[in-house]
Amino acid sequence: MANFKAQYYPGSTAISKNRRRYIDPNYKLEKLRTISDEDLVSVMGHRVPGEAYKSTHPPLDELGEPACPIREMVEPTPGAKAGDRIRYIQFTDSVYFAPVTPYMRAWMGHTRYRSADIGVLSGRVPLEMRERDLEKVAKELVETEVFDPARVGIRGATVHGHALRLDENGMMFDALRRFRFDKKSGEVVYDKDQVGVPLDKPVSVGKPIPEDELRKRTSEFRVDGVPFRDDKELIGFIQRIHMLRTMAGFDPNGVKGI
Amino acid sequence: MSKTKSTPKKDDRMFLEALRKKFKENPEDKYTKFYIYGGWKQSKRKTEFVEWSKKMSKERGIPFYNPDMHLGGITVGQRVLMPYRISGTDIYVEGDDLHFINNAAMQQMWHDMRRTIISGLDAAHTVLQKRLGKEVTPETLNHYIEVLNHALPGAAVIQEHMVETHPGLVADSYVKVFTGDDELADEIDDRFLIDINKEFPKDQAEQLKAAVGKRLYQVCRMPTLVAMTCDGGTMSRWAAMQISMSMINAYKLMAGEAAVGEFAFAAKHAEMIEMGTLMPWRRARGPNEPGGIPLGFVADMCQASRVKPDDPCWCALEAISMGAVLYDQFWFGSYMSGGVGFTQYATCTYTDDILDDYCYYGMDYVKKKFGGMAKKKPDWDLIKDVATEVTLYGLEQYEKYPALMETHFGGSQRAAVVAAGAGVAVSIATGHSTAGINGWYLSQLLHKEELGRLGFYGYDQQDQCGSANSFSWRSDEGLPFNLRGVNYPNYALNVGHQSAHVGIIQAAHSARADAWTTNPLIKIAFADKDLRFDFAHPRLCFGKGALREFMPAGERSLVIPSR
Repeated sequence: MANFKAQYYPGSTAISKNRRRYIDPNYKLEKLRTISDEDLVSVMGHRVPGEAYKSTHPPLDELGEPACPIREMVEPTPGAKAGDRIRYIQFTDSVYFAPVTPYMRAWMGHTRYRSADIGVLSGRVPLEMRERDLEKVAKELVETEVFDPARVGIRGATVHGHALRLDENGMMFDALRRFRFDKKSGEVVYDKDQVGVPLDKPVSVGKPIPEDELRKRTSEFRVDGVPFRDDKELIGFIQRIHMLRTMAGFDPNGVKGI
Repeated sequence: MSKTKSTPKKDDRMFLEALRKKFKENPEDKYTKFYIYGGWKQSKRKTEFVEWSKKMSKERGIPFYNPDMHLGGITVGQRVLMPYRISGTDIYVEGDDLHFINNAAMQQMWHDMRRTIISGLDAAHTVLQKRLGKEVTPETLNHYIEVLNHALPGAAVIQEHMVETHPGLVADSYVKVFTGDDELADEIDDRFLIDINKEFPKDQAEQLKAAVGKRLYQVCRMPTLVAMTCDGGTMSRWAAMQISMSMINAYKLMAGEAAVGEFAFAAKHAEMIEMGTLMPWRRARGPNEPGGIPLGFVADMCQASRVKPDDPCWCALEAISMGAVLYDQFWFGSYMSGGVGFTQYATCTYTDDILDDYCYYGMDYVKKKFGGMAKKKPDWDLIKDVATEVTLYGLEQYEKYPALMETHFGGSQRAAVVAAGAGVAVSIATGHSTAGINGWYLSQLLHKEELGRLGFYGYDQQDQCGSANSFSWRSDEGLPFNLRGVNYPNYALNVGHQSAHVGIIQAAHSARADAWTTNPLIKIAFADKDLRFDFAHPRLCFGKGALREFMPAGERSLVIPSR
């Protein structure tokens, strides 16, 4: 194990390389835009900007924790120390060349962030954390290359859109019309928070990434981009996993040469 | 897996016609318009719902259905509320027409399954002859069946002052018999016989008769109204009571002597075959409820293999539609969860000819590569090759046709349909349903890595365990997979799988030209033209239900005020 070097993801194509980059915590995600803390907090909708964090228990220092070797080994996050609530940010990633896919988003989160609880569905990825920790992570997820204002949505509910065709501006469908393309500024603007509550003032999340640039950054295989069929290494890897699992289920002693 | 990019012929894909009608746009267009369709008002059915709701709200004095309550006035229909084509037919319907509450044919399919009990007659005849010294002849047998046809719907046969049921309400209740013995079958009144020779193609009839042998079985159909008002556990009791009473009547026995208990025991237990078994406490339901019906039994209830024996895809697709309605819509969608969401999900396997396209693509691939169906024994290279090719083909269609992707707008729909195509193809190649289900699981893993997404949490859990459990229990001795159902631990949590699994089983056995998949008695019992639901053409029947052209049993108009 001492010599083990994490490889993160198999595959020979540009898509697989992007997947490796995003999952690898040593790779620094490229910052593409700036969103103010106030704006991000507004879109997430858990507290009013400037409002103190609500807590579900007293700070750990005041709580007097029992003697526990695990507690001694693991440094609590700032949110846990303070007793913050668990809150969420949820993303919907379009199938049309969004930078990351739901599984990439989850694996990226697991390798990069402590104390994140991430679920994966086909059309949305909830990420739950202590509130102040979440805001820090959310900022990275929205300001860097893993976010595209047009093909990624910040949506708490009524998330359908990932598989729908795009609108005339290249935007992903959003039944609640939380976001819109502002033709004047060329930017995507949120008028509502994650669950569709109108915001006091619109929040811009910047210009959509140009299509050719998006295709370079995406981790989605597509026949009109990089076809999955071309990545023989990845396909062979998956087939091998399936075969080994099958053999192990049938006769564990028959599995050789792993 | 083929080495070149899959582009079968020109654009002859089976789903294209439906896509054009659904969206009235080029299915290859990636861009469209939203928010301009008038919300729910674009749907005739929802408009009808609103009109009825207004009327009924006034009548009952309590607010009712109001789609403007949806998300504070942002109603459904911000995009096209697409219609659906019932696969294998020319019938287009609205999604609402496929919820079982709105579809009498779906209700009837389930009621016809639930109200069926098969009961052997041989034990009863042995008691009559050896213990009671009675003669059993063709005449006494026909007389007994006639008595039971009087009694089974709810009529008295022994006592002289009894309440009875209105024949107009229970006309769908009757008993028929079948045997594998042609001589015995000849002696039975045609009105009571399920004639294997007439109902099945010759080679299937020979297989079935050999399996049944000289034994004699009765198929009891309890009234649909009983199925609607009581539970599945009622059925064996109702049947056994009327069987025992009819025996007493037909053979002039003492009511209550010990030997009569033998009839009851035979009818209730020893010779009784239920459609579904009792379920454990955590999913507690009685017998003859959907959760206890094995996948292979549903395949056998479907009669498409009698009608199109040379087309395993067709047989599988028809069986899948029944599995979707039974397991996904009734069981998961209602028994286990409630609400309406599961219908949206379940219908993907039997609408818009999408799964049909994937299955026929797989069958063609298999025929070309292996020279026919069920020509190869299952092996790893075959499963890998066929399942991978069909999976990649299916996923590429979603990427090539954005309207197709939009039709299956949930990942679980895509995962179900693509893996079903892969599993059916492996089944057809090998004639082996366990190999087929293993192909399904390889498909799920490939799908997850290609799209970087699959279904929802539960969906992924089930399918990532599947490689390991597909051959894990005595798979080299038989086909235990055929006996799995929604009560199998890993299958108890998620919609969208068991429908396709029924098809994977059916495809394997149809490819082998088998007359049945799991239980020959069930296959014969549903080869019955007097059933209200058409088990030979389930998709067409669901379509008729959606068009409101299907007349179910169990109507109560005779005993309620006219409207």
